[in-house]
Amino acid sequence: MLQDARIRAITVQAALLAGVAALGYVLLTATARNLELRGIPLGFGFLWRPANFQIAETILPYSSSDPNWWAAVVGLSNSIFISVLVILLASVIGLFIGIGRLSSNPLVSGLCRVWVEVARNTPLVVLLIFNYALWWEVLPLATEAWKLAPGTHISVRGLSMPALTWSASALAPAAFLATSVAVLLSASYAARRRHIETGFRPAYVRAAWVLIAVGAGIFLFAYRDAASLDIPEFRRANFAGGWSLTPELTTILIGLTFYTAGFIGEIVRGGILAVRKGQWEAATALGLSRGQTYRFVVVPLALRSIVPPLNSQYINVVKNSTLAIVVGYQDFMTVVSTMINKTSHAIEGVAIILGVFLAVNLALSALLNAYNRRIAIVER
Amino acid sequence: MADTASNAIPRAAGTDMRSLLRRLAPFFGTPLNAALTIVLLWLMARFGWLLLDWAVLKAAIFPAEPETCAGTSGACWSFVIAKSGQILFGIYPPTERWRAGLVCVLIITTLVASARPSAWRPSLGLVWVGMMVVVLWLMGGGFGLATVPTSSWGGLPVTLILTVFAIGLGFPAAILLALGRRSALPVVRTLSVLFIETIRGLPLLSLLLVASILLPLFLPDSLLPDKFVRALIALTIFAAAYLAEVLRGGLQSIPGGQSEAAEALGLGYWKTQRLIILPQAIRIVIPALTNTIIVMIKNTSLVLVVGLFDLISSGKAALSDPAWPAPSTETFLFIGLIYFALAFSFARFADFLERSGAEKRG
Repeated sequence: MLQDARIRAITVQAALLAGVAALGYVLLTATARNLELRGIPLGFGFLWRPANFQIAETILPYSSSDPNWWAAVVGLSNSIFISVLVILLASVIGLFIGIGRLSSNPLVSGLCRVWVEVARNTPLVVLLIFNYALWWEVLPLATEAWKLAPGTHISVRGLSMPALTWSASALAPAAFLATSVAVLLSASYAARRRHIETGFRPAYVRAAWVLIAVGAGIFLFAYRDAASLDIPEFRRANFAGGWSLTPELTTILIGLTFYTAGFIGEIVRGGILAVRKGQWEAATALGLSRGQTYRFVVVPLALRSIVPPLNSQYINVVKNSTLAIVVGYQDFMTVVSTMINKTSHAIEGVAIILGVFLAVNLALSALLNAYNRRIAIVER
Repeated sequence: MADTASNAIPRAAGTDMRSLLRRLAPFFGTPLNAALTIVLLWLMARFGWLLLDWAVLKAAIFPAEPETCAGTSGACWSFVIAKSGQILFGIYPPTERWRAGLVCVLIITTLVASARPSAWRPSLGLVWVGMMVVVLWLMGGGFGLATVPTSSWGGLPVTLILTVFAIGLGFPAAILLALGRRSALPVVRTLSVLFIETIRGLPLLSLLLVASILLPLFLPDSLLPDKFVRALIALTIFAAAYLAEVLRGGLQSIPGGQSEAAEALGLGYWKTQRLIILPQAIRIVIPALTNTIIVMIKNTSLVLVVGLFDLISSGKAALSDPAWPAPSTETFLFIGLIYFALAFSFARFADFLERSGAEKRG
């Protein structure tokens, strides 16, 4: 009977399931006993009680009398804020590093190589802690802040820069902009389908561009007072107004961007190198201009090998943003850990951490995979 | 004669000029390159001078005493020199530090030896088991050596031990997971996929948190391992999930004909995997495996968050000495250089092996 493959398969799987169930049962009963012994009640009721702890820097409004669930949301918004900024900055810088590594100028390619090697061979924790130590050692007091650009200063107290503020009347041009982007996108989509079907490119896309440009000009002129720059000013001990980032946040942004840009640079370099010389030559033979060669041949081909590893880099950024804890920036993980310490609802707190990270990462990877499928090779 | 002689000199000068120009062409050939060169040279000169001034010219180096650093605005290297033992080995008893040093040498030697493709045969497993036993004996003591509890372990040995133990213990689990993910049995496949994807979807920090907060609740006190083992469990689970994905890549690249041929020879599933599939699959993914080792070396630095005494924590502990002016930049630079030296040289060595292997095959 043991020789029958089907019966054996069923037995093996049943035994495995039983083993997993038994392990789960043992863990659950032990946990229940431990919780009973320590008198810790189980339940998510604590989420609605006041948090009673401070969060130093928040994107959303928060005070310590807010409930725990809101503190967790505020922490999550901090994490997402870091991740989004780092992904944007590191993508742009990484693109330049990737191109720079292929530069014919040895100085450029050498410096880009140094960047990549340092980023790839140093732990992020060490980078962040080193950056933080450097911050306090190097930067001047607020009274002697370094001016990086008009209105942008950096000092021991943090980075302060101009912020764009707008009044309610800015809604009208914003709405116009959103509609026109939607119109343009659908028009060019329709035009592309028409182009593929008939071989002719309809002229209305160009007409739409012109109309929207004229409209935007009129709106900008009519509403030129709706938005303004809030430039930080030095008052007493520090800069006030504008947009200011604490040393902790700036350290993480710089450290994580430096680290991620190094990895993205290598991905971009690999992607460009993966486009074979024959593709360039074929494009030239077809009479495509250099710009057309890039647009229709090189970039689509390079993207195919760049996007999948880039996706996992983006998910890594979200995971790496948890290291904010080492310089004391209060991200989602730190906030929920504080909550666990204050309420001793360890199981619920850890369940929230695991659940949220799995959900965020699965959603992000589904989104990025959908994009990957769009640009992947279509096998006919 | 006079003609050729008079021609020879200008020609020589001409080729000199030309070769100089040719050598400068990459730097100044196009307007963009020229601009980049000038800007970068200027930046390098400026920051290079600042760095040189700080790290060498104004630095306090000898003698390695607190007074040396008092009067300088440059780097305080004498602190790093005086405290290097404490940074490298943490709170390990100073008289027993030779054991911790020996552990580091042993682990690095094993890692380097294992990166060679020719080392990948069944006896390598035995070598690793032997290495792990000797490391535990040297670090922990017993059998003639003074015992040192894990709570006194620290510094570089902790980093290296966590790395090799997580990989050494995670590897067998990773093989089972990778095979499980490709199994024909739906329950086995689903469980493997669930395990791998859950672990890979989570930050390592959250796994360490689970190990340090939740394990005490899951397990009765008598069974509860200490902090070191708890962190090691989290790292092992993490390594297993990532190694499983690396191995899956290797398994996928083995053509189906191989297992069909094995079946035709009358080999069962496990014999086929052990004798035919795995040896080929592992050989293919050795470069990716060495890469995972580097990732794990870097990742062990996270254990500082759950209170283990790795390099960073022992650096921080050294900095808290009130007799010194606490030069944290220098200390973390030193620690960063240790990590960089480990990871960079290991990566270069793996690259070298990969290239020489490719040449031999090609």
